[in-house]
Amino acid sequence: MEKQLFTDKFSYVFGDQKFFKKQKRIALKNCGLIDPENIDDYIYAGGYTALAKVLTEMTPEDVVKTVKDSGLRGRGGAGFPTGIKWEATAKQQNDEKFVVCNADEGDPGAFMDRSIIEGDPHSIVEGMAIGAYAVGASKGVVYLRAEYPLAIKRLQKAIEDARKENLLGNNILESNFSFDMEIRLGAGAFVCGEETALMNSIEGKRGMPRTRPPFPAVSGLFAKPTLLNNVETWANISSIIINGAEWFSSIGVDKSKGTKVFALAGKITNTGLAEIPMGMTLREIIYEVGGGIPNGKKFKAVQTGGPSGGCLTESMLDTKIDYESLTKAGSIMGSGGMIIIDETACMVNIAKFFLEFTQSESCGKCVPCREGIKRMLEILTRITDGEGKTGDIEKLEELGNMIKKASLCGLGQSAPNPVLSTIKNFRQEYEEHVEQKMCRSLVCEKLLTYTINDKCIGCSACRRACPAGAIAGLPKEPHTIHQELCIKCGKCYRSCKFHAIDKTSVAKEQK
Amino acid sequence: MSKPLSVLEEKRKEAKSRLEKNGYFSDTKIYVGMATCEIAAGSVPVMEVFQNELKNEKNIYISQKGCAGRCNLEPTVEIYQKDKEPVKYIQVTPEKAREIIKKHIKSGKIITEWVGK
Ligand SMILES: Cc1cc2nc3c(=O)[nH]c(=O)nc-3n(C[C@H](O)[C@H](O)[C@H](O)COP(=O)(O)O)c2cc1C
Repeated sequence: MEKQLFTDKFSYVFGDQKFFKKQKRIALKNCGLIDPENIDDYIYAGGYTALAKVLTEMTPEDVVKTVKDSGLRGRGGAGFPTGIKWEATAKQQNDEKFVVCNADEGDPGAFMDRSIIEGDPHSIVEGMAIGAYAVGASKGVVYLRAEYPLAIKRLQKAIEDARKENLLGNNILESNFSFDMEIRLGAGAFVCGEETALMNSIEGKRGMPRTRPPFPAVSGLFAKPTLLNNVETWANISSIIINGAEWFSSIGVDKSKGTKVFALAGKITNTGLAEIPMGMTLREIIYEVGGGIPNGKKFKAVQTGGPSGGCLTESMLDTKIDYESLTKAGSIMGSGGMIIIDETACMVNIAKFFLEFTQSESCGKCVPCREGIKRMLEILTRITDGEGKTGDIEKLEELGNMIKKASLCGLGQSAPNPVLSTIKNFRQEYEEHVEQKMCRSLVCEKLLTYTINDKCIGCSACRRACPAGAIAGLPKEPHTIHQELCIKCGKCYRSCKFHAIDKTSVAKEQK
Repeated sequence: MSKPLSVLEEKRKEAKSRLEKNGYFSDTKIYVGMATCEIAAGSVPVMEVFQNELKNEKNIYISQKGCAGRCNLEPTVEIYQKDKEPVKYIQVTPEKAREIIKKHIKSGKIITEWVGK
C-alpha cells in the first residue's frame, strides 16, 4: 500500500501551499481525495485495515490502552480524555452496551462533522466498530441531524456497503466479533447535542438533559453502559490504531495531542475547513492558513467555541490553540467553530446574537437557564436599543456567573460566556452603549444619527425613501432630516447615490 | 479460522479489481467536489458537463469527492493525468468545464488563470 503522507498529499493534489502547508490532516485525511460513496475507494486507500488489525492482533484492553496512551481528547467540545471514557465503559459488566456517535453539530457556523461524514463516511463506521470491540458493545447508533440530508444518505450507504462486505454484522471479517449500527435522526435542537439529552431523544423521550452522574459510561442509552463520542473523535481512531499511540501523541502539545478541525468563518480571506496540529497559535491559523482579514480591514476579535465560547482580542493572538491555553485566555476550544471579527462589528451586538441563539434553544427544564438567559437578553437588548441603565453591565456579570454555576447542563453553564468574555475584553464598548448611547462600529441602529451633508444635490431620493416623512427639502435644494421624526431605519442612507448622508454615532449628553 | 487481516487483504484485491473494471486506473482522472457546500456552489451542473461530454471516452475516470475545505473557491475540480502533477481548477462553472474538456483534457493545455494556487 502506498505510504500516506496526508498533508503532503493534500498540497500535492491541491497546490494551495499556503492553505495546506501548515495543516495536518488526520480526521480529514480522505476528505476530498476519495469517492465517499464507493467503499472500494476507501478500502483501496487502506480503509478498514485498522479494524482488521484490532481483530487480528489486539485485545480489547490493548485497544483501550492505545487510545488512552495517544492522549486523544473529545472533539465535541468538552475535551474529556477519550481513553478514560473507553476504559470506564469497558469496565462495566453488562450483557448489552452501546456505542454512540454524536453528529448533532448544533453550533451555528460549524460544519466540521458534516464534512467528515459527507467526505469519508466509512471512517466513522470503522472508528465505531473499533470502539465497540474495545468496550464490548454490539450495537451502535449515529445521532445525525435531519438537516444534513446528504450526510444521512452517504452514511446510510456506507453502513449498507459495509454490511455487504461483512465489515459490519455477524462475525466481522470471520472473527468472533459482531457489531452493527444504525442512524437516528435528530430534529435539529441544539440541546440534543448534549449527551444525556441526545440519548433521551434516541429513546423517544423529550430531548432534555438529566443530571450526571450517572455518566453514560455507567448508565447511558436505555440505561446500558454507553460509549459516546463526537464525529471527529471517531474519525481519529483508525489512524491512531494504524500509526500507534506514540505517533499521535508526538503531534500537538502537552495535554492536547493530535489535531483539531476548525471551520473558519466571518471576516477571513480563506473561509473553509482547516485541520491544524494542536499548539499552533491563533495568529498562524488566522493570518497564514486563513490568509488574514480581507478588504484591508483591521482585526478586532476571534470567537471560538460558538455559543458556549468567548471572544479573544488582538493581544491574545499568540495564544496557542490547545484546550488549556484557550480556556486560560477566556474562551474554549469548543467543537471547532472559529469566527473572525473585524473592526466593523459591534461586540455588544455579537454577544446579543449568541445569546438570542441560546435563549431560543434553552429546553426550559431548569430555571437558571430558562429565566436567567431571558433576563440577560432583555438587558442586552435594552443596551443596544439605547435604553441601557447604569449598573446594567454589572447586572449582566452577576446574572451570567449565577447561570453558569446553577444550570443543569452545559448549555446554561456556558451560555453566558459570549457576554462575559466580551464584557471582560471590550468593556469600554459596553460602557459607551450604556452611558453615552453610542455604538462606535455603527451597528446598533437605534444609536445612530443620520444627517445630510453638503454633497446633497436635492434629488429627493431620500425623501421618497423615508417611511417616516422625516426628510424635508425642495427639489434641487439641499434636504434636511428632522431628527425627532427619524426612526433610524437607514433607508435614506441606502437610497442616496451621492454620499450625501452621514451615518454617525456620537456620545450623547447624560440625561 | 483465517485472520481478519488476510480476509481484508482479499477484499482489497477484490476492491482493486472492481475499481479497475470501472476505469479507476485510467490515464486521466477527474474529481468533482460533491459535498453539500460544493453542490450549493453549483457543482451538480459541472459534474453533468463532464459526464455527458466525456461519456464515450475510454481512458477517463470521473468521480465525485468530498469537501477539501476550500469554501470560497468552490466548486473545485481536480484533474490527475498520468505522470503529470494534479491540477486543481477553482470556481468551476459549466462553461468553464466545457473549456477545460476542450483545452486541458483533449489538447493537454492547462488553463492557468482558473487554477487554484
Ligand atoms: C448544549 C450542548 C450542545 C452540544 N452539542 C454537541 C454537538 O453538536 N456535537 C458533539 O459532538 N457534542 C456536543 N456536545 C457535547 C456532548 O455533550 C459530549 O460532551 C460530546 O459529544 C462527547 O464526545 P467527545 O468526548 O468525543 O467530545 C454538546 C454539549 C452541550 C452542553
